[in-house]
This record gives sequence, structure tokens and C-alpha cells, in this order.
Amino acid sequence: MHPVTVVLGKEVRDAARDKRALLTAFLFPVLSPLLVYFMMTAIIELQTDADKMTIPIIGGEHAPALVQWLQEQDVHLEKFDGDAKQVVRDKDKELVVIIPDDFQQKFGELKTVQIEIVSDGSRTDSQPKIRRVHDLLRQYNQEIGALRLIARGVSPDVTRVVMSQHIDVASKEQRAAMALNFIPMYIILAAFVAGMGIAVDSTAGERERKTIEPLLINPVERYQIVTGKWLAATIFSAIGMALTLVLCIAAMGQVSLAQIGLQFHIGNGQMLSMLLATLPLAFLATSMQLLLGIFAKSFKDAQSYIGLLVLLPMVPSMYMMFSPFATQEWMFAIPMLGQHLLLVDVLGAKEVPLIGYFYSAISCLVLSMALVLITARLFQRESILSG
Amino acid sequence: MIEVKSLYKSFADIKAVKDVSFTADNGQVTGLLGPNGAGKSTTLRILYGLLTQDSGGALVDGIDIKSDRIGAQRKIGVLPDSHGLYIRLTAREHIHYFGRLHKFDEDKLEFQTNELIKLLGMEAIADRRVEGFSQGERMKVCLARSLVHNPPNVLLDEPTNGLDVMTTRNVREIIEELKNKNIAVLFSSHLMHEVSRLCDHIVIVSEGSIVASGATDEIRNTADEENLEEAFVKLVEGGID
Repeated sequence: MHPVTVVLGKEVRDAARDKRALLTAFLFPVLSPLLVYFMMTAIIELQTDADKMTIPIIGGEHAPALVQWLQEQDVHLEKFDGDAKQVVRDKDKELVVIIPDDFQQKFGELKTVQIEIVSDGSRTDSQPKIRRVHDLLRQYNQEIGALRLIARGVSPDVTRVVMSQHIDVASKEQRAAMALNFIPMYIILAAFVAGMGIAVDSTAGERERKTIEPLLINPVERYQIVTGKWLAATIFSAIGMALTLVLCIAAMGQVSLAQIGLQFHIGNGQMLSMLLATLPLAFLATSMQLLLGIFAKSFKDAQSYIGLLVLLPMVPSMYMMFSPFATQEWMFAIPMLGQHLLLVDVLGAKEVPLIGYFYSAISCLVLSMALVLITARLFQRESILSG
Repeated sequence: MIEVKSLYKSFADIKAVKDVSFTADNGQVTGLLGPNGAGKSTTLRILYGLLTQDSGGALVDGIDIKSDRIGAQRKIGVLPDSHGLYIRLTAREHIHYFGRLHKFDEDKLEFQTNELIKLLGMEAIADRRVEGFSQGERMKVCLARSLVHNPPNVLLDEPTNGLDVMTTRNVREIIEELKNKNIAVLFSSHLMHEVSRLCDHIVIVSEGSIVASGATDEIRNTADEENLEEAFVKLVEGGID
């Protein structure tokens, strides 16, 4: 048996018996899809709430035409009596629409009618609803206004100086993918979380438990020992990542995205593409952790370093969420950013250039091999025995 | 056979080993005797390839450790200063792991493992995970894994440190047995009575230098003392002056 295989086999067996480390490693892949599910469901509920809404109205009987028009726009009106300001302040209602008594009279005299919308500006969750009511009233305004002009022989275009039309170039899948930006982040995070326990245990743990000296007395090259440990940690990292990926996608399948007009379909081919895109990251994540683990004097030391390391993969994801940019080919070559871009594109059903997979895989593997070599050099130092 | 020629090793400003030379022959037990901090462990660590000497030579069966670490490591079995074990592996798995790292013939590994388990009287604990093992049981696992590849040279760093009487006796028997198999045994100790009982050849070190070396009786003569312990104290104190 090759020494690398011997070390690999031992580390995998050792780690598989470490129940606490396993729990931390695989809690994340199980929890993240749940998070995805509940977050998406919450988003959809917010959206559909705004679409099919119920509006409390005072004085609806004074404006039967408006009430009927609103009902035609899928708005459910609910008659309300009482102190509008108080119920909104008490957060019993998100908003109340008040129609004045003299609506019909002013309407007939072609005077402007004041319709009051009582709302609480500090409540962010009611904003879509309020915006919708404003939009509806503006639309009603335009329709009636246009009819009045036509009746006087004036083209309604006279009052329309400019008109905006919104053209969204994102495909529906892409819009879904934007909403799903956190799935790539979870998958990338999983690479770091799932391999962490074994990477730390097989480096800092080996020093702390004083097994490193007996191990290094064996006639094996140091780089072979490090490679065995690296591959063992990579197996765990890859399993964690694949599990997160599959479960997150499965969770998305359970969310009724059609309700908000989004399409989301991931076939086996896309699943495979995503696995291929992210696999090199498992090698990189664990090589970073091994290096930090060997630097650290103790288990605790290592875990605090590696805790910070987990923030690293979040940088590109966060950056993309807050300031999206156009993808350039060279960007695939930046580890972690490359994987993130690939995942977003595959999720968004966009054609991904093959060179993207190539760049991101090569850069990850080259960087991780360099880190493994550095770790092997550190294993060769005499001071590895102390502390 | 282990040959050490004029070995020097410093850590920063501290000269840990100064001009140490000795030979540990096959079929002989050589004792490296000295108080704590005398440079015994440093000398052994150079011999098993974890430290590199500043100057001087260290050979295992004629192989220079500095230039061919792995070649030399194949020829030695070591019970090092640290007795760490992997708490989630069984005693048998420890022996297997080290056997495989030594590329010991896979077909014979199980047989060899069972032989060692019998030799060390650890049948009852062989398939238990080592977590919770007593000091003596842990020591047996360490010994077994260091001997799995039938090494022609055995280095033991304070092998009876912290062991109870029964296990100490067990370790002594194993040292005798290794000697009878024509293996070169080199062990370090700060316990005079242990060395005098087991060793054919004694090297006394103090503050990194050899203060006396020779057959057990010769040492007694050098110090002009009947009792070896008295001789030891006298030599070491003489070395300090």
C-alpha cells in the first residue's frame, strides 16, 4: 500500500469515528437547505401578500365606481369603522384608505378629491402594499383623466409628456438566481465547514495529542503524510458540499416559485455541472485549513484561525449581492469567486463557457497544491515537535 | 548497530549535545544514562531522524541518517519521548497503521500483530479503542507499534518512565528478548538501578557531554565506587565542576 493511501485510510477511519466533529461537519449541509426553504417561502409570501391584498376602507359607499374598479384590479376591500390612525399606530392594520363624504359631489364638479392613505412609514413590511395602493390610484387617475379629455375632444397624449417603460433583460431564471444568491454562498461555505474538523484534528490535534513524533519517525516522506491528510479532509469537504448542493436544490423544488412568476428547474446535467464546478474548492478549502492547523500550537488556536478563514469565501458572494458586476472570463480564475460565478450562471440557466470551468478548477488546484507543499515544508521543521 | 561520532547540536544559545560519541552493538543493550536535561532525548531524536545535528555523524547499520533519513528510519524501531495515541483507534489498528507505514508485508501483518499482542500480554485490550487505557496499557501499544516491522535496532526513550512494577518488569523482559534476537538496543534512562540491571554498556551524559562510557563494571572502576549509583552521582557532579 502506498504511504499516502495508508495515511488517508487511517485519517478517514479516525474522523468517521469522531461523532462530535461529524455532527458539526454535516449539520451545516442539513440546516442550510431548511434555511433556503424558509427564506424563499417568506419572500414569496411577502410578494403574494402584496398582490392579493385586503385593504380596509372607510367611506367606500361614497365612491361605488372607484370601489368597483379596485375590485376589478384584484383588490379585496374590507369595510372599516373606527379610528384609522389608532389601528395603524397599534399595528393592527398596515394601512387604511379613507374616502371623503363629498367624493361624488367633487367628482361631478370635476374637482380634485383627497383620498387619504393612513400608514406607518417605519414599517418596512407594509411598504409594498402602500406602493401598490398609490400605483392603483394613479392608474385610476389616468384612466378617468383620459376619458374626461376624450369627452372634450382632447387627446390624452397631451398630458403625457414622457412615459417610461421598464424592460428587464434578465431572464426569469436569472431573476430567480439573483434571489438564490445565497445558495452558492452556502455551497462554498459547506466546503470550508465540512472538512474543518478533520483538517484541524489531523494537524493541530496531532500535535496536541503528541502523536506527531511517533508518526514522523516512520520512513515516509513528509509530503506523503500531508497529502494523505489533505485528501482525507477533502473527501469530507466534498461530501459536505455535494450534500449541501443537492439538498438546497431539492429544497428549492419544494418552494412554489411559480407564484411570484419565477421559473426554477435544475436538471441532472446542471446538477453535475455544479458539482464539477465546486469540487476543486474542496481541495483548496482543506489545504488552507491544513496549513493553518499546522501553524497553530493547539486545537483551540487552530479553530480560532480557521473560524476567521470561513469568512473568506463569503467575500465574493457578499460583494456580488450588493454590487453586481458583469462577468469577465478572467474572473473565473479567482478561487471562490470563480465557483460563485459558475454556480450563479448554472442556476440562472445561462450558457457557461467551458473555459470558466477550466480556469476555476486549475487555479484552485494549483493554489491548493502550493499550500500543501508549504504545509509539508512546515512538517519538516524541527520546531514541529515543540509546543 | 548504531554509531555516533562526535555529535553536536545547539538550540539557539543552548548547546544541548557536545561531542557525543558511542556505539550500540548488535545483541547488546546500551544505556544512555543521565539526569533530566542532559541531552539524552536530543541525541535520540537525532538518531531517529527528527532533529538534524549541527556536526558529527550518526549511522544506523552504516546508513547516514542526515543524508538518508528514510533509509535509516527503516532500520529502527523507536519508542519516543511522546507516547501519544489516536484515541479513536484500537490497539490493533495502531499496530497496523505503523506496520503499513513501514511497508510491512500485508500478508504477514496480521500474524505479526498477533505475535506482538501475545508478547506484550495485551490480548484483552487489543480490539478496544485506546481512549481510557491505563499508562501501562498505552505504553504497550506504543511498544507494539514501534516493533511491528522487526527492526534490527531499537531505541527507547525512558521506556519505564511512570510505569508500575509489573509493566516495568514486562518492558525489561522485552528488552532481554530483543537482545537475544541480536538486536541493538539503545535506551535512555535517569534511573541508575534500571541501567545497571539491564545494560551491557553504559554511556553517562551530563550537560550534553559524555562523562563516562564503558561496560558496567568499567564505569564502576572509573568512579572508584562499588555502588553504581554512587558512581553515577560522582561522575555527574565531577562533570559539572
